[in-house]
Amino acid sequence: MFDFKGFSMQWYRELFHDTRMLIIVLNTIIVALLSALFSTIFGMLGALAIYNAKKRQTKNMLLSLNNVLIVSPDVIIGASFLILFTIAGVKLGFYSVLLSHIAFSIPIVVLMVLPKLMEMSPSLIDAARDLGANSWDVLTKVIIPFISPGIFAGFFMALTYSLDDFSVTFFVTGNGFSTLSVEIYSLARRGISLNINALSALLFLVTLLLVVIYHFITLRNNKASGLGVQKR
Amino acid sequence: MNVASIIQFKNVTKRFGNNPPVLDNVSFTLERGKFYTLLGPSGCGKTTILRLIAGFTEPSEGEIWFNGQKINHLPANKRQVNTVFQDYALFPHLNVFENVAFGLRIKKVKKTEIEAKVKQALSFVNLDGYEYREIREMSGGQRQRVAIARAIVNKPEMILLDEPLSALDLKLRTEMQYELRELQRRLGITFVFVTHDQEEALAMSDEIFVINNGKIQQSGTPTDIYDEPINRFVADFIGESNIVEGKMVEDYLVEFVGKKFECDDKGFNANEPVEIVIRPEDLEITTPELGRLQVRVDSQLFRGVHYEICCYDKDDNEWLVHSTKKAKVGKEIGLSFDREAIHVMRLGETEEEFDRRLETYADKGDSAQWKVN
Repeated sequence: MFDFKGFSMQWYRELFHDTRMLIIVLNTIIVALLSALFSTIFGMLGALAIYNAKKRQTKNMLLSLNNVLIVSPDVIIGASFLILFTIAGVKLGFYSVLLSHIAFSIPIVVLMVLPKLMEMSPSLIDAARDLGANSWDVLTKVIIPFISPGIFAGFFMALTYSLDDFSVTFFVTGNGFSTLSVEIYSLARRGISLNINALSALLFLVTLLLVVIYHFITLRNNKASGLGVQKR
Repeated sequence: MNVASIIQFKNVTKRFGNNPPVLDNVSFTLERGKFYTLLGPSGCGKTTILRLIAGFTEPSEGEIWFNGQKINHLPANKRQVNTVFQDYALFPHLNVFENVAFGLRIKKVKKTEIEAKVKQALSFVNLDGYEYREIREMSGGQRQRVAIARAIVNKPEMILLDEPLSALDLKLRTEMQYELRELQRRLGITFVFVTHDQEEALAMSDEIFVINNGKIQQSGTPTDIYDEPINRFVADFIGESNIVEGKMVEDYLVEFVGKKFECDDKGFNANEPVEIVIRPEDLEITTPELGRLQVRVDSQLFRGVHYEICCYDKDDNEWLVHSTKKAKVGKEIGLSFDREAIHVMRLGETEEEFDRRLETYADKGDSAQWKVN
């Protein structure tokens, strides 16, 4: 490409004038935030369902189904979604990308939330009911506060998975809609612009910032939930 | 159903799946304002009784009545009962004040009232000034008190305590025993206390239920149960005991280890095989000539308050003696005891039969009262 001659802001300037690229960045962030939000909600409900499953068999089956999505390669997931969306007649674009991102993030959230639920002493729920709480009170006043570190972790994991996903998005994205990873891929194949380098540098900084924020959140949460209850 | 009774179990059976029942046809009545203890080894079903009263689980068969109302299917959050859990089950995301206030907040009590009630409950358990501590900053004993405050602040009709002292060290445990007993007297609330620690049960209760294998073996005041255990299990589980086989020759005369002794029991068939209990503290060490039993000292442990001396007689029966006097290991000694120290147990007797037999002694006056020490 280019020989390194010194530091320059030229490519950053060019990047900020490239509205198409900025829209793509915006798309990426919107998809990431929305998919993280929805997958956190569904993942949490899923984890609660697995936790509350009465039979051990049901529990294991649900957990295995959950893990199928984690172990299967992205390419397979992407191809499957493509086939599904084509059959179902869903127009490829923003919604198809969002749906598939939600789908592959849910198992991740489940895996982050479930250990927290398992860690919770069942007598906490008994205690809440004993003190007069109905099921809704138990959920909102006891269970969710207790597992909130897991929910946060799940949200951030889903966010990063969605941000840097390439293969699934590549399959299900359609005309006129693109995310950053797909765009960078096509730009890199053409191999002309240093826009990408500038963008990558910015992305790196943003990611670093997110990691730092995440670190402080978990630090605070760990302190807050430093296990007030002794295990049997 | 009389006014004093607060909870009544009628032929309650609880089983999980196809396993043998955890509780097997249990019936009892608890009276208002008393301190009850459910005592038994782990897995005997005592915690199941507690969970049935609290409403965390429902009986498979039978009925549970609370204040003259059948509550088989009443959910836990609708019952006038609060529980202190073995692991305390304090909410780690709430501080002390909010933990205690939890029940009141659910009931939507007014803010000022909550504040006053929580403060009062905390001072009841000697935790003034700890309102805004986090749970993780509290020691085991303090957490215990928070759990108790959280239960009493709701002014329930009954408080259930599920082995609440088992995680504390000995000194603190003894202290909490006094405090719990005192608290129960001051509040006048019925306490149901579950434990596997017989000393705890004897020290605190108005009435003890000894439970084994899902059945109530014996119920009664601590002295009744200690002095007149109904069977081998109760005698063995409550305190230390020497149990030997013997036979009842006639009324007031029992034979064991090949000798005949006068005793205070009657109402047996002639030469009926029985079991004899003599508590170790009722045995006194003397010379072999003066003793009613001659034994050889096998080993000796210093227990602080007394020596625990393990002896064998010539038939290889073990005799445990608690004595403040030291004995020499390997030496022949004599053991003497009063006639009241002999407690005769009929084999396979039910509690009703046992009580009926005891009543026939009543005409003998106080001699049926056993000496404790």
